[in-house]
Amino acid sequence: MRRYWKSFLTLAAIFLAATPLFGQSAGAGAATGSVASWVPIGAGIGMGIASGLCGIGQGMATAGASEALARNPGAAAGIRFSLILGLVLIESLALYTFVIILMKT
Amino acid sequence: MHQLWFTRWLNALFARPADALLRLLHVAPAHPAAPIPNHVAMEILAALIIALFAVWIRPRLSVDKPGAWQHILELLWTGIESQAEEVIGHDAQRFLGFLMTLAVLILVGNLMGLIPGLAAPTAQITVPLGCALVTFVYYHMQGIRRQGWLSYGKTFLGPIPLLAFLMLPIELISHLARILSLSVRLFANMFAGDMIIQIMMALFPLAGVVFMTFHFFIALLQAYIFVLLAMIYLAGAVESHHGPAEEAAVA
Repeated sequence: MRRYWKSFLTLAAIFLAATPLFGQSAGAGAATGSVASWVPIGAGIGMGIASGLCGIGQGMATAGASEALARNPGAAAGIRFSLILGLVLIESLALYTFVIILMKT
Repeated sequence: MHQLWFTRWLNALFARPADALLRLLHVAPAHPAAPIPNHVAMEILAALIIALFAVWIRPRLSVDKPGAWQHILELLWTGIESQAEEVIGHDAQRFLGFLMTLAVLILVGNLMGLIPGLAAPTAQITVPLGCALVTFVYYHMQGIRRQGWLSYGKTFLGPIPLLAFLMLPIELISHLARILSLSVRLFANMFAGDMIIQIMMALFPLAGVVFMTFHFFIALLQAYIFVLLAMIYLAGAVESHHGPAEEAAVA
């Protein structure tokens, strides 16, 4: 049962993606150029991947910092410094994606 | 083009000299009647606010009876001072003027985005880019001044002479990428915060207020982070190149 359910979901996902692809008439994007009409979809997917992976990275960094703080509260200043620095450097990767999207729309 | 009240006022007063200045630099103004855009006007307003506040606070400072504003300023100063001493070392005092100016300008600029009728100048790429360029030039100047041209240039070649041809392009690119990362980080955070507030305000007003509180903390944090990274770059430039701060600051 579980296997059928999985393949059903996969098929549904494929059809969900495929229907607008074939259903789009040829002249729909002709006014603005057909490439430009895909920009919002690409922007959504790209921003989703970027911020999701950044969330994982920042979560790991924060988890490590919290563990280190629990073990050694005396070293709070140094841990906080490297935590903020690491978070900032990770976050800038998502922000680069955001800026690229901003430039393309 | 939508103009805020301060921009309209500036344009009514200074449209002609600003046009003349732009023409002197061979730039054709897009709107000759209103050549000063919002973010430039807002940055001028931020500088005016800081200057007037300094003039107002100067005769009110006292050792015996410090007022509320003096306490706030001393808190800011000692915070940045202790952070700078932790990152740069004993000679951090020389750079405090620059770091404090940067911190206060970016902080006021960020917070202006939360006041109705004003806009954040840092939500336009040119203003953070200006701050980042000043920081870039400043820390290279300090590095050259401290170590001399030759030994400062030698830090770009890396520790091993055989690998210098490999290290030089990497070092140059990483130094130039600092301008990009500094300016884009501040700009994108401020711009994204503004957009989120706008969208949430359009959907449900109460959620917009929540996001404004969130944006307030982001504004404080981004000002702190900009100054922190400026400190780290300064520390990498003025110290010998095997300090712990230099290894941490790759981007």
